[in-house]
Amino acid sequence: MARNDPTDTGGLFIGRRPGTAPVHYASEPEMGSPGRRRIDRAVAAFVLVVETLVCLTLWGPQPVAWLWVGSQVDFHAGSVTLGIAVAFAGMIASLMLTLVLAVRLDAIWKVVRRAAGYDQREGVLSRIFVVTAIVAAVAFGCWFLILEGPAPSLAPQ
Amino acid sequence: MPRFDHYRQFQELPPEEVSRELRERRDEARAREVVLVPELDLARTAWHEPPHAEAVNAATFALRRRMNAYPDPSAREVRELAAARHGVTADQVAVGHGAAELLQEACAVLLHGGGELLVAWPGWGPLPELARRAGGSPVAVRGEGGIGPLADRTGAETRAIALSSPNDPTGAPVARDDVRALCERVGERVCVLLDEALAEFLEPGEDAAGLVAELPNLLVFRTFAKAHAMAGFRIGYVLGPAEMAERLTPSFSVNAPAQAAAAWSLELGDAVLARRRAAAARERERLAAALHGTALSFPPTAAPFVWLSSAAHTGREIAEHLGLRRIKVAPGAQWGDERHVRITLRDSAATDRLIAALRELA
Repeated sequence: MARNDPTDTGGLFIGRRPGTAPVHYASEPEMGSPGRRRIDRAVAAFVLVVETLVCLTLWGPQPVAWLWVGSQVDFHAGSVTLGIAVAFAGMIASLMLTLVLAVRLDAIWKVVRRAAGYDQREGVLSRIFVVTAIVAAVAFGCWFLILEGPAPSLAPQ
Repeated sequence: MPRFDHYRQFQELPPEEVSRELRERRDEARAREVVLVPELDLARTAWHEPPHAEAVNAATFALRRRMNAYPDPSAREVRELAAARHGVTADQVAVGHGAAELLQEACAVLLHGGGELLVAWPGWGPLPELARRAGGSPVAVRGEGGIGPLADRTGAETRAIALSSPNDPTGAPVARDDVRALCERVGERVCVLLDEALAEFLEPGEDAAGLVAELPNLLVFRTFAKAHAMAGFRIGYVLGPAEMAERLTPSFSVNAPAQAAAAWSLELGDAVLARRRAAAARERERLAAALHGTALSFPPTAAPFVWLSSAAHTGREIAEHLGLRRIKVAPGAQWGDERHVRITLRDSAATDRLIAALRELA
């Protein structure tokens, strides 16, 4: 049943709600066999996990890696400014590349989900992005406040 | 099947692609669609616009006030206003359910027991049938609106003479002096029924209604269906000798909303009538100018319609040509005339369409 059916809106036809636009295919897709759809479900789940991991790298591994690269530049070049600039530029560049990759993974996830038999209209990237950001913030908070403790100037006397 | 083709079929089309497909589908549907041209009815002579809002207000007020009561059986207010307008006394006015009903009643009274009704022809279409229903014999007298042939044809059997001014369908007015001359010439034995349904399109003072005060054998019929734009109310009045007016008064009164709207129109509607008269004249002039130098022409008319003929086509051909362009006109065959069509004039948009269609013919 169409999701913009008036019965969904208490009998009032209020026009098409956001996210309820029908998906337009070049032609009516031919569904795979039940076995293939089971495999597609598994593949979709795998892609989702990869997509989540890729997004998670944005909030820890990548900044840490670029800070290390920046420190190396500082050590070899003897310039803190250059080290910070390289680390900052590198973080921005890898953020962009990661987003491109995540978008592609999200598109693949949508297609595979549809092939698995789901009426998948929207991707899940924005939700993953927000959730991983929250997870990373919580993890950082725990590490900073509980495991490592704040810097001496901030530490309780 | 290549490895990923199964998944490619689940990829959605980009919005531009979807729009392009929808546009193509729409263009295809439009190309198949028959172009609908609304029909333009220029065959009827009732005024094409609604009545003045104040006339409708008056009718509505009467409805709200008098829904539970019978209307004034004597239609006193309308009679007094009509009498004052035409310079007669109120007892010389009878208000009825439209001029047609009053004409029918007049035929019934005058032709009771037989006799002839001379009808200036071409004239108002239903008149011959009204005369027959009343037991009389209609006699069509051709005279292009002049009164000579009518007076000449008047004989011992003639009970009444019917003519209209402006004439329907030609639009030619009958001069006030001609009406007087006809009444005097045929004598009091013969009643002259002058249908002035379209008299509001004459310039003020050109109508013959005022002659009722001095001519005992003249009945003048007026309607609110044409220039007053109140055909739906079914109300009109007749002016004539008091005795005749009493006999023509309908047994059951005209409804209250119609009386109220008619009273408003008689009392305050002159400016509206003047505007409609000017509008009709403007469209007549535009049409005449557009047809100048073509095979199409129409005689001078005072009515909001023209009696059009062509040097190259019959009336039926003109009507068919216009009919193919969804313009409906009244073919002259209704009056036994194969050369003409009667075309009612409406607003400038209608005249534009009419001119465009007629130019194709000319």
